[in-house]
Amino acid sequence: MVQSPSRSDRPPIQQLQTVADLLEKPALSRLYAHILQHGPITVSELVNEVGIPQGTAYDYVQNLQAAGLVEKTRKQRPYEYDAESIALTLSTDKETQTITPALIAAVARRDEDEDIDVYIERHGLDGLAVALKYAYEYVDGTVNHRIAARELDLSPLEAEIILQALEPVVSEYADAVV
Amino acid sequence: MTTVYIADTGVFVRCGGPDKDKFQRLRRTLQQAGVSLRIPQRVYEELGGDPAAEGYPSGNIPCPDGFEEGWIIVADELDYANPLVSTVMDDARRVIANETDRDEDIIEKADTALVGLAAQVLDTGQADHVVLLTTDKPAGRAAKMLLPQYGFSDHIEFRYVSVEYLETITPDEFR
Repeated sequence: MVQSPSRSDRPPIQQLQTVADLLEKPALSRLYAHILQHGPITVSELVNEVGIPQGTAYDYVQNLQAAGLVEKTRKQRPYEYDAESIALTLSTDKETQTITPALIAAVARRDEDEDIDVYIERHGLDGLAVALKYAYEYVDGTVNHRIAARELDLSPLEAEIILQALEPVVSEYADAVV
Repeated sequence: MTTVYIADTGVFVRCGGPDKDKFQRLRRTLQQAGVSLRIPQRVYEELGGDPAAEGYPSGNIPCPDGFEEGWIIVADELDYANPLVSTVMDDARRVIANETDRDEDIIEKADTALVGLAAQVLDTGQADHVVLLTTDKPAGRAAKMLLPQYGFSDHIEFRYVSVEYLETITPDEFR
């Protein structure tokens, strides 16, 4: 089952490839997360603030626009872009996982935060999505690293490392539903 | 007034490895203030030689330096025969279960060790004031809630160790 973002008019399967790219390419997810937080924004502002080459930035913005995740909000030059929030729910027989802006932002941090990078390598993106849910609880004070470690089958130290690494994402997406 | 500072695993994870500024700042602050951090046995076990944490930059915690230099000390074993310690730990289990909306059965001794150690330090007269440095909000709240019920109101302080806390820490806060 795939549910598309509620506000986007693009069909879900068409979006799927771009969402897969978002999870694969940290630079693309960083760009998307930045537009979401700081849009409307121009490409040259993005180049400065996100620190990616101009050609790449134009390509990425175009890809995101084609998938309906980014929209041109200012029609004359300099063009401005804003992002659509995403909530793509994927289900298998056993598990359901929702790809949210917070998850994309967490993936986006793997280039700058090696703790997140190592965690994804070991536990995959599904593992990261589950850890992110615990990070919301951790910030709320409704779980600690020891309980999280037992429930996620991690060592206490590893649990504390990933919960702390995800804390900035939780603060940034405080009101988001995960 | 004697104050004992009890630190949890999260404090050292927050320091983020040996070359990070926050670890050096914590070390300098404590050495200038002339105080040390006590860690429960359980925290010592969590920090020491965890193969699962290898590979994570923040898992590379130079605690041995702290032990050698004397600003991190492993606390005495928890004395479960001390009725106050065991009662406070039982109570803490209930509070933490409630705070985390979990079944009481799944809350373990490790979850309540911080609160138990605070009770032990106060009860045995090793200190008349305890400061808990932790990222474990449920345990911090349990300590704040429970110890006053056993005659230790105003003797316990819970400091949530955020990035900002470690970046702005000064010796004045340890005097």
